[in-house]
Amino acid sequence: MAKILMLNSSCCSSQILSPHKTTISSLSLSKAMAMCSSFCPRTPFHPRAIKHQNSLQFKAFSTHASSTSPPKDETPARIGFLGLGIMGSPMAQNLIKSGCDVTVWNRTKSKCDPLISLGAKYKSSPEEVAASCDVTFAMLADPESAVDVACGKHGAASGMSSGKGYVDVSTVDGATSKLISSQIRSTGALFLEAPVSGSKKPAEDGQLIFLTAGDKSLYETSAPFLDIMGKSRFYLGDVGNGAAMKLVVNMIMGSMMASFSEGLLLSEKVGLDPSVLVEVISQGAISAPMYSMKGPSMVQSLYPTAFPLKHQQKDLRLALGLAESVSQPTPIAAAANELYKVAKSHGLSDQDFSAVIEALKVRLQQRT
Amino acid sequence: MEEIGFLGLGIMGKAMSMNLLRHGFKLTVWNRTLSRCDELVEHGATIGESPAAVIKKCKYTIAMLSDPAAALSVVFEEGGVLEQICAGKGYIDMSTVDAETSSKISEAITSKGGNFLEAPVSGSKKPAEDGQLVILAAGEKALYEEILPAFDVLGKKSFYLGQVGNGAKMKLVVNMIMGSMMNAFSEGLVLTEKSGLNPQTLLDVLDLGAIANPMFKMKGPSMVQSSYSPAFPLKHQQKDMRLALALGDENSVPMPVAAAANEAFKKARSMGLGDLDFSAVHETLKATKS
Repeated sequence: MAKILMLNSSCCSSQILSPHKTTISSLSLSKAMAMCSSFCPRTPFHPRAIKHQNSLQFKAFSTHASSTSPPKDETPARIGFLGLGIMGSPMAQNLIKSGCDVTVWNRTKSKCDPLISLGAKYKSSPEEVAASCDVTFAMLADPESAVDVACGKHGAASGMSSGKGYVDVSTVDGATSKLISSQIRSTGALFLEAPVSGSKKPAEDGQLIFLTAGDKSLYETSAPFLDIMGKSRFYLGDVGNGAAMKLVVNMIMGSMMASFSEGLLLSEKVGLDPSVLVEVISQGAISAPMYSMKGPSMVQSLYPTAFPLKHQQKDLRLALGLAESVSQPTPIAAAANELYKVAKSHGLSDQDFSAVIEALKVRLQQRT
Repeated sequence: MEEIGFLGLGIMGKAMSMNLLRHGFKLTVWNRTLSRCDELVEHGATIGESPAAVIKKCKYTIAMLSDPAAALSVVFEEGGVLEQICAGKGYIDMSTVDAETSSKISEAITSKGGNFLEAPVSGSKKPAEDGQLVILAAGEKALYEEILPAFDVLGKKSFYLGQVGNGAKMKLVVNMIMGSMMNAFSEGLVLTEKSGLNPQTLLDVLDLGAIANPMFKMKGPSMVQSSYSPAFPLKHQQKDMRLALALGDENSVPMPVAAAANEAFKKARSMGLGDLDFSAVHETLKATKS
């Protein structure tokens, strides 16, 4: 059965997907888009407006709609969410709390329970989620799982079709993204890569930064949902561009954390108070939120996981791969990557990436 | 406050002494190249013919030299600080040097009865002009207390870090991180461009997130334009990296990222970029042809 997307013509300040539940007449997607541009002149999004007008804006999304039949063109879009880890869980929760109709799946089913108790529906495979939803988000840990969930057995692609969209929020390399993109698009569906900058707390607070690329129309129709989960979004063109931008950002971040670690350790070894170093840094030109946030816990040798070290190392590895593909030397990133590898080899994969400082300490011990 | 002496009117010294003059301090200045004193004289400073002459005249003397060699020479050479330093006088060295150099100067000063404070700063030309430096002092606590009124004009925050050497070390650690960060940033900018993306977009994205910082914001746009007007000369940054690595060496602390960054700065110097802003290290990555 073809699922049709219609745009909410009566709600002009936002372009909201709403499947036509009672299929009296079917509109093609292009016709629906044409309707949109005539009835809904594109106004700039105001994320804060969308965030705070929960009841008003998303009355249409409420699954507890009034018993009278929903007004024409005002039925909610069905959102799928695959992957409920550190990031996926709070992201999906934000969608649900904003009144979205959300269906979830996770490899470990128990992770779905908190979402279900908040009102999410559950399907037992990515394929079924994709088939029952209009736009499906995926937040997986790495390229391998992203491909598996999208293209594997009972994967999302098997449930996709024309009129649907797949938004992959995982951080992967360009080649992986292109692979997933072609599989999804071959079903007639639209694809958007949308990796994020921001870790656990920004995810919880709806403060992520989306670095998207792919089908522009899917970007536009996903925008209200991105604005629930995030504070800003970028559209960067062809598939691969979002992935590249994310990898560059995390390459810089990984190098910065490694350098910060060197500084903390050096300050301690030469008789300074590393907490004072953190304070001095916070006063000057290199003051970054990451240093103020992570510094105090690192000084205590504590690394509560907001961004797992293994994922930071994965991102560095992929960034180095990107650099190699364009013949660009990146000696600092290469040196930093080595430290993360050492940290991994000492069992720190699931600690926060700030645990990379331990790689320097361990090396110290190994010398004596 | 009493009249203050000021030795060294380079990028930093000139801005700092102008700032002191604007806030009503009386200054006697000296610089190896005398002509640099002119603008300060126009604003009310008097000239000392030598470091010794300045010390003789002033109860407190601040020095702002470019490197360990200059800092030592101003103290030990003929006509230097040592000739006139004595009990009741204070010498505040705000140059960035290694801990050993600072100790040497400290010993020489105190053995003549003088009081010594090392006080290197974090911040470059603009913070110096705006009185927004971060001052990392160590040494004679009483002298620190006495010179605080001047520090409060020169900087936005002062730290007292204990014994001589601690200020020097703290400064080197901060600049080590800064040098590595600049290289990481440069790698990101070049990779962005090589991947067909707009570097300005990278700047916008960075500015929104956890790794946003004033240095990226200030230097990013000019780096994208290949413009490197010196706020902090590359040769001084490389000097600081070298000193920081030496510190790590002495204490057996592994610093692979700093070592890689130092290599990039060395390469930049060999390309003749030493007098440009330290962000010119960006050119070393761009210069590499595949």
